[in-house]
Order: sequence, then C-alpha cells, then structure tokens
Amino acid sequence: MTERKPVEHSGRALALCLLAWMVPTAGHFALGRRGRAAVFAAVLVVSVLVGVGLDGELHRVVPGQPLSMLFTLGAMGLGAPYFALRFLLGYQGVAEAAGFEYGTVFLLSAGLMNLLLVLDVWDIATGAKD
Amino acid sequence: MSHFALMTLYAASLGVFFATLWKRARRDQVRLFLKIFVSLMGGALLLGWLMYFFPSGPPKPLP
Repeated sequence: MTERKPVEHSGRALALCLLAWMVPTAGHFALGRRGRAAVFAAVLVVSVLVGVGLDGELHRVVPGQPLSMLFTLGAMGLGAPYFALRFLLGYQGVAEAAGFEYGTVFLLSAGLMNLLLVLDVWDIATGAKD
Repeated sequence: MSHFALMTLYAASLGVFFATLWKRARRDQVRLFLKIFVSLMGGALLLGWLMYFFPSGPPKPLP
C-alpha cells in the first residue's frame, strides 16, 4: 500500500473542506479516496432523490421559530444542491403530501451526512486519519 | 413506497454511510453496518409495538 502524504497547510485543508461542503463528496475525490467518495455519493443522491420525491421539506428559517435555524443549518450542509433546489428550482416541499415527514428526514439527513463528510475531509487532509 | 420500505431504505443508507465513514476493514464495515441496521429497524419496531399499548384515541374536536 502506498503512503499518502498528508496535506500540511491548513489553508489547503480549509479549501478542501469548502469544496467538500459545496460539492458533496468532491473533497474525498480530490484526496484520492475515490471508492469511499462513490459510496458516499450514492447514499447522498438516494437520500436527496427520495426526499424530493416524497415532497419533504427543505428547511428554511421561519421567524419566531428558533429551532428552524438549526434545521436550516443542517439542511444547508448539503451545499450547492441545497441552494440549487431552493433558489434555482424553487423547491420547498409540500406539507400536505403523504410522505412529507419521511422526505423531510431524508433531506435533513443528507445535509447532516455531508457535514460529517466535511469533517472527515479535514481529518484526512491534516493527516489525522487515513 | 410503503412506510416500512422507506424505513428499511433509511436504515440501510445510514448503515452504509457510517460503516464506510468509520471503518476501513471490510469485516469491520459489515459488522458496523449490521449493528446500525438492526438497531434502527429493531428499535423502530419495538417502539411501534410499545405504542400499541398507548392508543392516541379519537381526535379532539376543534375549538
């Protein structure tokens, strides 16, 4: 097995984290972890497609509801797909849909999973983890 | 998709994700996947079964 040289500059690690956040799994691809990136991509794509297919809620801040900020931050963890869904496609979910709650959970989970991937990219980039 | 199928898909997705994220050896990954999958499915079924003893009753009339 070849030794992978850790990225020592925190600036580059930060840039990789930003990339990993904006384009889910791109950080792992950039670090050469392509197999893992493909698995993560498959899980995230399925989660988002199922969430949107069920008309789940794409969280946004609701005035007077502090918890909605946390939910929104979690959903925004999805990066570019969140902004594309929200601002380009105008997606927000349908509260009356039969699968609304399930869809919401899938979409929020996808965002939170991507945030964990960003942390994983940081660990790999700084050499704390393989 | 039925609620059960969605629950199964969700449990499987989380299992695959965390097994890939946290473990490197294939054997460890399979073990963690099974642990997460069985825990989520078993926990949901157990909670669902327990809720049988606490029926929500008829809906309250609107004020």
